Amino acid sequence: MNFGYLLIVDQQEENCPDYAKMAYALALSIKNTQKPGYDQVAIVINNKKYLARFKSLWVFDHIIEWSDKTFWDGRSYMDRLTPFENTICLDVDMIFLRDYSHYVDYFIENCDLYVTNKSYTYRGEIVTGNHYRKTFEKNQLPNLYSFYTFFKNSAEISMEFFPLVRNITEYPKEFSNIFLSEHKPKILGTDEAFALSAKILGIQDDISYDLEFPKIVHLKPMIQNWPWPAELVTHHVGLYLNKQGQLKIGNYSQTGIVHYVEKEFINDENLNVLEELAWKK
Amino acid sequence: MTRGVLIFAHNNRDVDYALMSLISASLAKKNLQLPVSLVTDDTTLDWMKESDIFEKANDVFDQIIITDKPKTDNSRKLHDGANSKFVPFVNLNRNQAYELTPYDQTLLIDSDYLIFSDNLNNYWGYSDRVLLGRAINDIVGPRRLGYHDRYVSDTGVHLYWATTVMFTKNEYAKSFFEVLSYVKENYQYFADLFRFQVRNYRNDIAFSIAQHIIDGFETKSEMHLPGVFSFIDKDVLYSVDKHGKMLFLVNVTADEKYFPTTVKDLDVHIMNKASIVRNAEQLLELI
Repeated sequence: MNFGYLLIVDQQEENCPDYAKMAYALALSIKNTQKPGYDQVAIVINNKKYLARFKSLWVFDHIIEWSDKTFWDGRSYMDRLTPFENTICLDVDMIFLRDYSHYVDYFIENCDLYVTNKSYTYRGEIVTGNHYRKTFEKNQLPNLYSFYTFFKNSAEISMEFFPLVRNITEYPKEFSNIFLSEHKPKILGTDEAFALSAKILGIQDDISYDLEFPKIVHLKPMIQNWPWPAELVTHHVGLYLNKQGQLKIGNYSQTGIVHYVEKEFINDENLNVLEELAWKK
Repeated sequence: MTRGVLIFAHNNRDVDYALMSLISASLAKKNLQLPVSLVTDDTTLDWMKESDIFEKANDVFDQIIITDKPKTDNSRKLHDGANSKFVPFVNLNRNQAYELTPYDQTLLIDSDYLIFSDNLNNYWGYSDRVLLGRAINDIVGPRRLGYHDRYVSDTGVHLYWATTVMFTKNEYAKSFFEVLSYVKENYQYFADLFRFQVRNYRNDIAFSIAQHIIDGFETKSEMHLPGVFSFIDKDVLYSVDKHGKMLFLVNVTADEKYFPTTVKDLDVHIMNKASIVRNAEQLLELI
């Protein structure tokens, strides 16, 4: 089996979120929780110098320097950048809290390309709020989340899907004008590009059918089923990572994957917890 | 393995819980074909004797278990349709159900829960959990419910409804009730932790927190009892016919408009306690 997780980072110098640090934390959490053979991590980063400060670079099995595209745009090249035959590409502001190796087995056995189509609140409810998904709703796009994408490099469907995603990312205005006229997004992000690509190709049912996994908690504030609007999740509930690497959000233990959104979650203290666990493993 | 129903009833000066428990027990006994026991106190028992229902109670109840009446300052606004007043209520000993029940498997119900079907008999097999009413299921639908009918607090845990609780005497249930007692004894602490305002001690909240803790601080989608089909206390049970068809006047909107509706053969939680008492004779005739 040739499988691994792919993290794509475009680290900017100043006043930008520290995506390299988040990718490092995610890689640590993968090493801490996944079985050997299911814990390979490759990072694609615009400059390797951003990684030099980290103590345990061994968590990255592959470090690939690549700077052809900036910001999110590089993610549309995931199929070209991955060193693996079977890949799960992740957003970097996520953390793994349990072993999901069995999911990987399922995907390798049953899928050529799979894009997640639901997320959960910190209370374990499926997100139904459309606050951040008006473009999807108004333009009848499939409800895809690119933050967890499985693909086989050799699969025909990947070879159709990703080039179109790249095209959409390259020409966002043109695609928005034609296909997203009911509600144009301010920025055509990877989620929109994935959804539009799937819709144009008519493959949404092939690449995103209903599965109970992966269970990814999405911590954007306006989709937590709260009775009032919220600016930040941490204004209302705390995120508590203990020394065993167990995460609690408010009164809820988290046992899946958490997409924490607020970049400050990966502070030195939490990074240290993840590092110590990795060293002891 | 013995099975039975357990009801708690402690009268106050305004609400005849003894009479309600007799009605509830009679219907449960008839429709579930199970024995029913009552947990009550001396003063409530005296009232049952005084109000001439003691003989009937002896006939209906498998056992009448006397316990101390918990001391409490709990009071709440109770509606009877458009009218309302503040009344005291005693609900502080539900955590003793595990110790007090004479049965191996127990269905614990509120005295304002009237059973007209054998639906709950389908749940006895799930003995590895304490089963709680999954949620409230209001006659009007979700639009009449508030956020805190579904969650303990704004950011807090799922609210189960302890109107119906089913448990088996085993280590799991024993632990559950120990946690429940701990929550009850430290209610203000748990209010701070789970971020709800303490007006009165509320069993639904305490049971929900105990369930949440026992489930490992998660809301599990495992087996629960069905949603508690309910009429709020602004609704009125107007009449009951000899076939068990109940006519309700339902306060659909916040104003004074009432709409009639009938219910038959469904288990129903009638929060307007005065209207149960007004229809006691007809309800008891159904037995």
